[in-house]
Amino acid sequence: MWIAELPSFIYFYLGALLLPLLRGWGRNLVLLAIPLVSGFFLWQLPEGEHWQVTLLGFELTPFYTDRLSVLFGYVFHIAAFIAIVYALHVRDLLQQVASLMYAGSALGAVFSGDLISLFVFWEMLAVTSVFLVFARRTERAYRSGMRYLMIQVMSGLLLLVGVILYVQASGSLRFDFIGLEHVGTAGLASWLIFIAIGIKCAFPFLHTWLTDAYPESTPTGTIFLSAFTTKVAVYALARGYPGTELLIYIGAVMTCFPIFYAVIENDLRRVLAYSLINQVGFMVVGIGIGTALAVNGAVAHAFNDVIFKGLLFMSMGAVLHMTGKINGSELGGLYKSMPKTTILCIVGAASISAFPLFSGFVSKSMVMTAALNNGYNVIWLMLLFASAGVFHHAGIKIPYFAFFAHDSGIRTSEPPTNMLIAMTIAAVLCVAIGVYPEMVYSLLPHDVDYTPYDTTHVLAQLQLLFFSALAFVWLNQRGLYPPELPSVNLDVEWFYRRLLPRLFEFIMGLFWSLNEVLRQTIKRFLSALGNHIHTHSGPQGILAKTWPTGRVVFWVAMILAAFLILSLY
Amino acid sequence: MMNSDSPGFFDKPANVKRVLRVFYACCALLLIMDVVIHRHVVHPWETLIGFYPLYGFLGCVVLVLLAKVMRKVLMRDEDFYDHQPRVVDLVTDKKDGAESEASDVDR
Amino acid sequence: MLIHLPILQVIIPLLGAPLCLMVKGSRFVWGFTLLVSLLASMISVALLWQVEANGTLSYALGGWQAPIGIEYRIDILSAYLLLIVSCMSTIVLLGGYRSIEKEIPVSNQSYFYVAYLLCLAGLLGIVAAGDAFNVFVFLEISSLASYILIGLGKDRRALWASFQYLIVGTIGATFILIGVGYLYIMTGTLNMVDLAQRIPSVSESTTVLVAFAFLIVGVCLKLAMFPLHVWLPNAYAFAPSIVTAFLAASATKVAVYLLFRFSFGVFGIELTESILPLHEVFIGLGLAGVFAASLVAVFQQNIKRLFAYSSVAQIGYMIVGYGLDSVAGSMASLLHLFNHALMKASLFMALAAVVYRLGSVQLKDLAGLASVMPWTAAAIVIGGLSLVGVPLTVGFVSKWYLVLAALEQDLWWVALLLVVGSLLAIVYVWRIVEQMYFAPSTSGDQSDGTREAPIGLLTALWILVIANIYFGIDTRLPVGVAELAAEHIFGGRL
Repeated sequence: MWIAELPSFIYFYLGALLLPLLRGWGRNLVLLAIPLVSGFFLWQLPEGEHWQVTLLGFELTPFYTDRLSVLFGYVFHIAAFIAIVYALHVRDLLQQVASLMYAGSALGAVFSGDLISLFVFWEMLAVTSVFLVFARRTERAYRSGMRYLMIQVMSGLLLLVGVILYVQASGSLRFDFIGLEHVGTAGLASWLIFIAIGIKCAFPFLHTWLTDAYPESTPTGTIFLSAFTTKVAVYALARGYPGTELLIYIGAVMTCFPIFYAVIENDLRRVLAYSLINQVGFMVVGIGIGTALAVNGAVAHAFNDVIFKGLLFMSMGAVLHMTGKINGSELGGLYKSMPKTTILCIVGAASISAFPLFSGFVSKSMVMTAALNNGYNVIWLMLLFASAGVFHHAGIKIPYFAFFAHDSGIRTSEPPTNMLIAMTIAAVLCVAIGVYPEMVYSLLPHDVDYTPYDTTHVLAQLQLLFFSALAFVWLNQRGLYPPELPSVNLDVEWFYRRLLPRLFEFIMGLFWSLNEVLRQTIKRFLSALGNHIHTHSGPQGILAKTWPTGRVVFWVAMILAAFLILSLY
Repeated sequence: MMNSDSPGFFDKPANVKRVLRVFYACCALLLIMDVVIHRHVVHPWETLIGFYPLYGFLGCVVLVLLAKVMRKVLMRDEDFYDHQPRVVDLVTDKKDGAESEASDVDR
Repeated sequence: MLIHLPILQVIIPLLGAPLCLMVKGSRFVWGFTLLVSLLASMISVALLWQVEANGTLSYALGGWQAPIGIEYRIDILSAYLLLIVSCMSTIVLLGGYRSIEKEIPVSNQSYFYVAYLLCLAGLLGIVAAGDAFNVFVFLEISSLASYILIGLGKDRRALWASFQYLIVGTIGATFILIGVGYLYIMTGTLNMVDLAQRIPSVSESTTVLVAFAFLIVGVCLKLAMFPLHVWLPNAYAFAPSIVTAFLAASATKVAVYLLFRFSFGVFGIELTESILPLHEVFIGLGLAGVFAASLVAVFQQNIKRLFAYSSVAQIGYMIVGYGLDSVAGSMASLLHLFNHALMKASLFMALAAVVYRLGSVQLKDLAGLASVMPWTAAAIVIGGLSLVGVPLTVGFVSKWYLVLAALEQDLWWVALLLVVGSLLAIVYVWRIVEQMYFAPSTSGDQSDGTREAPIGLLTALWILVIANIYFGIDTRLPVGVAELAAEHIFGGRL
């Protein structure tokens, strides 16, 4: 059946087109049906190239499936479905269309068999996702969205230049292993593509778009955002740059530095955004190590992260949706009024913290074992530290400050049923994968020869986590734990949100003062010129006044004299 | 659903204490198991007794204390980025100002 | 009859002048004068045909051959000028009756027509005459007649303006006479063709150079080249409207003709080019005239004076074309001569209509003119556009050729300044347009007396306005003839 051969993004794009024509339940039905139908057909599909077009002389492969891309395809379908369920109560066409387009673009990107298609979906990701930020419809969100868009489009442009150069140098459009070992033009191209992916992947110093924009989106929009953009980048790294050693160090830094910010960050969704970078760091390390185990771990972790990070964002979204507040300093004691949400959040927290029997454990331990096996001891220690840190900020801090801590006095109720259902689906998946990891392992690109549940791993992980928690308890009881404070913590974004505007202000100030002087000078000059002209040419000026006849004759004589002198000498 | 006005489980300090006691016991048990259970190790540090508990505990303490120091350096008011003119405003404001000044001069 | 056309061209208006005194009734005098002028223009058309077909015409007055007798010599340049002068005269006269009737006291009207015809005869004579002394004689005839015409203005300052013009004009004529005298001493002939043949042999003598200097300065005085233009604004401003229209369209054009004739025809290109940095000086003075006069025009409140200064500026363009010293430059200059005659005649005719209805040419009195005199106002707009040099008007054509001529010699700065100078024209033309179309009418109470100009005036005015547009689109006649004339004076002896 030909419809089964359609690329996944087509379903989503068509659905987005269809939405404005529908309302109420019809629209909800379409929204829910799209990821189910598309996912079903994807499941039925054999691997390989399914669609080739020739455009402007280029052989494009917009729909190419192999184990790696199909895995991401599945998880994106799951994420899209959960997020759609979660957002089912929203009556905002803009968000609904944008989220379908966004999810479709992410699917388009991971199924792109060639670099040009990849670029197209890469830009589509940026353009569609920004509306989820705009949809908050506040000035703050608008500005944040603009910054986000600028950085995303910049990533797209870098990718475009890189792709053009790379295709010229290599002669191949295929999106396959690229690596950083090329020399010459191809070397430059590979670096450009690498940086473009790095921006979307939230490499250190390139990460602030994420922590800036994600927490500014709507409660439901953030779920979509957290699922797709970074994971597309992880996919692109896994396809283009596996085994690139640089990625190990980049990833290790990504796992460590955000946890410091997460500890002192007040906006709980921003805490999760930092935690998102931290989790992506694990994946980047895995891709950097590049062994079968490491890449499997990275990809599996991406799969799990989409679900448990989604779950955490959903629980915080529920809090924001119900209370209108998201700052740790304003929340607390919600377990009384939102017990189900609390439990679901704890499931997410346990998953991200990699508690045994939760999904994070089965994938994160793969990456760490791979790091240890390959002799990256320092990296392993960093990852270990990051694991403890994750538990600390995402596993404890998020549920603790939102649902426990001191009672903020807020009395609310459970979120709408659709939200609870979506969170439950995610929570069930987290536990299911944690208990039965073969569900994911069977999908991984490489054969899996790894058992997460042996006493060594479980004991070590439990010890690490419990004593991290002990540290939290101890610090809290000694009053050493930093209180939640309404604040902004400076990050790299300071350079473009503060330094750059200030610099611009300064330069503009200089320019305007200079301009002022310049304008005054020109003005003075013009008015002087005007006066001058008026003196000579105005009705009373020498040029316009009626001369006495004597003077006329005098000048005639002068000119004749001049003429004669000139002609005679 | 719990009656939201009734005091919650954690509102009673005794309950909190009880939970914490269970937690401490778990920690102690895990520490003891380190001695009891033989594990296959990859890294020599893993053989050290109490490596993971110590690393987890110290790591988190260092993390929190370092974060507190970071706060001193990095923390700003909540509206730190808010009260700055947009580029457009910046230009137009300045321009208007300059023009009004200029017209003052004219007068 | 046809062979006598050169003399008839001059003699008919000359003889017509005294006959005016015998005709009674202003309407009949006007009709007679118009008839004479019409005859002259028909003759000029016939002459142009003949010259175009057969080349230069030579007419020996009374059968006496050239060196001894008086020769009338009509080449393509002369024929071109004759056509301009006589046709402008006719059209101006055609529309002028009501204006003259209103502006000239009845007792003086016969004298006006006499002076008008004499002036016409003089101007035609200057162009037709083949010897230098006759040029002087006709110059005096036309000048004296124009002093009278200007002096007839209602404003008492007209007399004074006329007097100043008389002094300056006489000095100019005297210079010309002195120049001619020197040439006669050196060559023993007054005939321009003979002069042209004999001057090269004596070109080394300072006397010839002095003669040249006197002649050029004299002619420049007559054509109101900046800075010798001072007489012109007052004369134009205070003369009767019709006189201004006629003189603006003809007198200065004839003076420009003399400049070309003497420097290229009589002294020859070699001599003219050998003397001093003449061309640079003329380009400089021409441009100075364009800018100085345009700037003055911008500030003028009296529109007649405004357009008078504009005339000085337009003469500047012709001087630049002359100074370029090339076929293209001369052609542009001669073309502008024709085009400027058209635009200034139409503008001053429009002003005649304004004066006829409003009795004023002050800018402030023009407020709201467009609503009461739409046709006149429209004519001023089109004439103004032509003055600025907007495409599809004659003004564009001549400035186009002038800029091309400047570029031909790689004089980029000249071309640029010419264009910038045209922009100044936009300013003063816009001031008028703004006042006519956008200013609220200040004379609401006298709206009963203000209506559209008389039909005769409007007819003549619109003939000129349409000519402004027609020759801006169909440029064959002026461009063709100007090209021929320019090639003629450069191609060889006249």
